[in-house]
Amino acid sequence: MSEQPTVASDAGVGTRPVVDARNISKAFGGVQAVDDVSLAVVPGEIHAVVGENGAGKSTLMRTLSGIIAPDSGQVLVDGVALQPGDTRAALAAGISLVHQELSLVPEMTVAENIVLGSTPTNGGFIDRREQRRIAAEALEEIGVTVDLDELISRLSMALRQFVEIARAVARKPRVLILDEPTATLTPAETDYLLDMLQRLADRGLAILYISHRIPEIFRIGDRITVLRDGQHVDTVDVADTDPDAVVRMMVGRELEATLGEHREADPGEVIVSAKGIRAPGVNGIDLEVRAGEIVGLGGLVGAGRTELVRAILGADPRTDGEVTLTYDGVTHRINSYGAAIRAGFGYIPEERRTDGLALTMSVTDNITLPNRRHLSRGTILERARIKRFAAQLADVVGLRPPDVSREVGQFSGGNQQKVVLAKWLGREPVAIVLDEPTRGVDVGAKAEIHRLVRELADDGKAVLVVSSDLPELLELSDTIHVVRDGRIMGTLDRAEANEAAVMALASGQTAGTSAGSDTTSEVDA
Amino acid sequence: MSQTTSEPTTEPEPQQGLALGAAPGDLLQRLRTAVARRTEGRAVALLTLVVITVAIVEPRALTSYPVTLGRIALIGLVALGLTAVILMGELDLGVASTLAVSGVVMASFESLTVGIIVALLGGLLIGVVNAFFVVIVGINSFIATLGMLFFLRGAAFVISGEQPVRVANADTALQFGRPLVGPLTPRILIFIVVFIALHVFVTRMRVGREFYAVGGNREAAYDAGIPVVRRVFTGFMISGFVSALAGVINAMERTAADPTAGGTVLLASFAAAIIGGVLLNGGRGSIVGALLGAATLGILQVSLTLSGVQVDVQNIIIGSVLLLAVISDPASVRRVMARASTFLSERSKPQPAG
Repeated sequence: MSEQPTVASDAGVGTRPVVDARNISKAFGGVQAVDDVSLAVVPGEIHAVVGENGAGKSTLMRTLSGIIAPDSGQVLVDGVALQPGDTRAALAAGISLVHQELSLVPEMTVAENIVLGSTPTNGGFIDRREQRRIAAEALEEIGVTVDLDELISRLSMALRQFVEIARAVARKPRVLILDEPTATLTPAETDYLLDMLQRLADRGLAILYISHRIPEIFRIGDRITVLRDGQHVDTVDVADTDPDAVVRMMVGRELEATLGEHREADPGEVIVSAKGIRAPGVNGIDLEVRAGEIVGLGGLVGAGRTELVRAILGADPRTDGEVTLTYDGVTHRINSYGAAIRAGFGYIPEERRTDGLALTMSVTDNITLPNRRHLSRGTILERARIKRFAAQLADVVGLRPPDVSREVGQFSGGNQQKVVLAKWLGREPVAIVLDEPTRGVDVGAKAEIHRLVRELADDGKAVLVVSSDLPELLELSDTIHVVRDGRIMGTLDRAEANEAAVMALASGQTAGTSAGSDTTSEVDA
Repeated sequence: MSQTTSEPTTEPEPQQGLALGAAPGDLLQRLRTAVARRTEGRAVALLTLVVITVAIVEPRALTSYPVTLGRIALIGLVALGLTAVILMGELDLGVASTLAVSGVVMASFESLTVGIIVALLGGLLIGVVNAFFVVIVGINSFIATLGMLFFLRGAAFVISGEQPVRVANADTALQFGRPLVGPLTPRILIFIVVFIALHVFVTRMRVGREFYAVGGNREAAYDAGIPVVRRVFTGFMISGFVSALAGVINAMERTAADPTAGGTVLLASFAAAIIGGVLLNGGRGSIVGALLGAATLGILQVSLTLSGVQVDVQNIIIGSVLLLAVISDPASVRRVMARASTFLSERSKPQPAG
């Protein structure tokens, strides 16, 4: 209270900052997550915060919203210092955070979730009318229609994301912080969200926007703050920079020019053959993957791609269809997940946190989990060999830091994904299935994962990739099948594939009018 | 920048571009949605099944309903309190021991009133201690309350001198077992009152409603500014208090407090909650569900006893019903069917050697 707010150094917009974070530092264990970072946001500004995973973006945002207390530095709201580590104080001061990990309560209704933490009451009893009014108002403000009495558990991921934003808006914030809000959205939903944020900013709300997706930032951002290894690299006006420059600042080095560069595909024999696959969400699909070929599955979220690959692998039961894996002149029929893995499939699932990794176990343990047989003598595991083996694989995938005895949960998302890859590489699979291999992964790690996937194919493996990230799909795939409603709507080879063509098939629109329009989208509930 | 650009009336014209929410639909559709949102569906189905079967096989369990109601109240009361804790994703294994020790404590006092008050306060205190270990010390609630289970059972034996303790004012206590309103004994009436109170608490009151947030997504609850620690204390105190109340009622009805009381209550109350659709991980379930679960179990037990079925066999049947309740949700059934068909198709075709 006593401190007179010094006039912010950036007088660019000519307005006093709503939030002024000064010299924030925070360490976790020995890791300096945020190191002396300052950041000021003015009303009506969309301020993008970018950086690779582990750059300290989330920690900084969690400090601003009072979830964690910084080791040093302070957050000023309208020149008044905020009590550190107090979420209620931050909320009261008008800082509202939309989490990366959805933070809704699944078995409560939309209305209850929107007012959660500040439920209106009347003598201890919930004032339901007021609750509905607040919720309806917030939803109207962001222009989304949802049944107020619907349970969150019955909503699609996209709708949950919008409810989450409505909740933040309902708190009448002065600053809205969004952490990767578009990670689970389709292009049309993303369009809608970005327009919505622009509208909110036009009404004077200050927005802090965290994203890996550079095009989004250039579309709506006013200024960009770049973080790297916990340090503030620079804050620039969007008008004065370009995407390449921002990426360079993020990674601190020139990215090897991998983007757009295609491998010379030389597909061999058919390795994976799936015929007439039917399962919940999959309505009769045939597909083949050849040795050395990367087959991409495109489509909107909920089109049935994950269901398809899981049915192919036997990870979820099929109601009909046949899958075979052929190599070395032997055909293996795949009828269960166990059979798939034994025959030589590798699977990197969409939800690596829940399906692909044991987060509380070390990298070594995770890598060797599916490789125990050839690392043991009889039933006894050979520790030294295991360690060497894990270290080797960690090196191949470029794990950072390359400490295989660390718990997987302590690595960043991109590096966790590398551990999943390493785990399967160790088995030397003949066919590998990747579902959204780079979701939520930073640019640097993404490039490395792409390199690894291409190397797998060059090695003669059959690769099947599901991706909602169009540039990634186009860059990696030799052939793209576009899936909608559990069916293949079209197949594009490298020569004819482009974003518009994929989107047209995926959304069911006629070709040519697809890209960027926000008129329709299919979201399954 | 955006302040300078004053666009003429591009204001919030609510863009209905994104068809995200489902349309309300007709009455049938709305009804179906309302049912799908409930967690008690299976409990209702199971209870109906049990009632119909019992009506055919052993109708006495329904005609002599005061006995059955008494049984339901016995299982149900503890289950209701327990549900408050389970909704927050915690367990309270100490409920049966709390029941025993509070009965013994009550009977140790010369004055019935003083005994009751001390016993109930004791129940609250037990809840406080449980919650302290769980949210302040940070011990898993299974372990913390497992400790309580042993500690309190031991205490009940020590206080009672390993003998049933006669309630001081036996005449008053004897009255307690008699019907008060129609065929309803005080036990049943208290059960009804506790049911209504807890139901209103978790559906209509902010504190109770936030139990769902604490159990469904604890981190979100913290982030939203819900005082999670206080909520967990409240939950354990409810469970402790209700268990102690059950102990007092038991001792009053029998005019004596037995340190071995409530042996079957622990598992029966958990079973009632689970059958009623209360998710052990928290965040999902209802007080109504726990009531339905208790009713299912109570009717089943009474009818089996009246039919002269041995207790051991009764346990087998109850165990089967519990499993049936848990696996009978539509998702599980579909999964089992699909697996079976995959398995069978695999068998029917000769496989080339691999």
